[in-house]
Amino acid sequence: MKKTTKFITGFGLLAIATGIFVAADHIDAPDSMGTTADIADYFAFEPSLDSDNTVFIVDLQSNVLDDLAYGTFDEDVLTEINIDVDGDLTEDMVIQAIPRDGRMYFFGPVAPSQTGLNSQVLVDAPLGDVEISAATAITETTTDGVSLFAGPRQDPFYFDFFRFNEVLAPSAMDNSGFNVPGEDTFDGANTMSIAIELPNSMIGEATGTNVIGVAVYKTWITTNRKQ
Amino acid sequence: MKIYRIKYLFLSLLLAFAVISCNNDDEAMMDDDLMMDDDMMSMNPDFSGTYAQVDFMGRPGINTVLGADGDAKDAHNISVPTNQGTSFQAAYQARLEALHDAYAIALGLTAEDVDYQPNILGDILNGPSNDGFTNNPVTAEVLTTVLATDVLEVAPNAPTTYFNGGTGAPNYEGAIGFTGRTLQDDVIDVSLILLFGGGDGVRFNGEGGLPQLVTDGVSLTADNITTTFPYIGSPE
Repeated sequence: MKKTTKFITGFGLLAIATGIFVAADHIDAPDSMGTTADIADYFAFEPSLDSDNTVFIVDLQSNVLDDLAYGTFDEDVLTEINIDVDGDLTEDMVIQAIPRDGRMYFFGPVAPSQTGLNSQVLVDAPLGDVEISAATAITETTTDGVSLFAGPRQDPFYFDFFRFNEVLAPSAMDNSGFNVPGEDTFDGANTMSIAIELPNSMIGEATGTNVIGVAVYKTWITTNRKQ
Repeated sequence: MKIYRIKYLFLSLLLAFAVISCNNDDEAMMDDDLMMDDDMMSMNPDFSGTYAQVDFMGRPGINTVLGADGDAKDAHNISVPTNQGTSFQAAYQARLEALHDAYAIALGLTAEDVDYQPNILGDILNGPSNDGFTNNPVTAEVLTTVLATDVLEVAPNAPTTYFNGGTGAPNYEGAIGFTGRTLQDDVIDVSLILLFGGGDGVRFNGEGGLPQLVTDGVSLTADNITTTFPYIGSPE
């Protein structure tokens, strides 16, 4: 009941805010929004301090609002984790995930057959596969020490999204910025997660650096629809 | 399109899209049914074909705040990092300045009175004794140049975090950032601080008649995360 109230209120606020945005900032709906290929979020971290592993979590879709595609991985959508190890902003290694008949199949990490906007599934570099979970997590660990997961999870993102929309369009009547405390729009929302934990040795040495001079992989994720 | 590349920014427009996506789902299910018949015969899933990029995400949320418009956000989704600086930096910088101007006007000031101020990264990069944000400032151009190339850096041999200011101003001992993104990282607050926090990180902190622009006032819900793989809690 609370959730319903929140969303109805939110839609009202959004309608107002969006009207302002369209007028002032020409904001339109991006093509991928609300589709089965819509990326919701992306995390990459070491599972514990000084670990030799890295965890990648890709969240697709969300049920934070009604009418968004949510709940089923699309077999026409290939998810890619792109990893630049030498700092030239071109992917040197990719990890792929794609569902087939209730299982998520993983490939890589391996140099892609081609860089850029088009991809093929790297069938010569299978990493492993795992049954797509329902509410209870089913995980798979390969002989290489790689952990795999795919299924619904809580949306771990937190953000006062509705207030954010108002904050972006201040007026003389409302110029106070965010509320403290705010309201987490994503509390209670779920997402379709793909998680992989693997040894850094499978990716290779990072020779690129970040803005503060630390050696890093430069990474990004994409979803790709079958043509 | 998201600092968290949240596209939720435009959710109110989604009702129209829902119809389209339902149609897509229907087509996908038909394809799947056909494919499953093939699979049952060969016992090997069919992974053939070419897949074209439709969505992109590096850092969370920067594009949500700084993306110029819907066309730019769509273009970002089908871009590659090597071209993003050229394609998006100038628009990000203009957007950052425009948001400051909007608050100036809302507060009854002139746009010239409220500009972006170089942020805490200058101190962290250059050291407080160098008065980093004055002498070697992280200007709006420098900041948006870093942010426009939308990649999430991940350190294999250093603590992974979106940003940790260490001991904080003025020395920022132990500060580290741009080395990953954990589930615990408050990426929205970090982003707001870098965009609006100025040289000490607390400009626009809701005091002195100024708006609160350096925190959205929400934090992680504890049961969202777990200590073991896959690290995110069961669906609600």
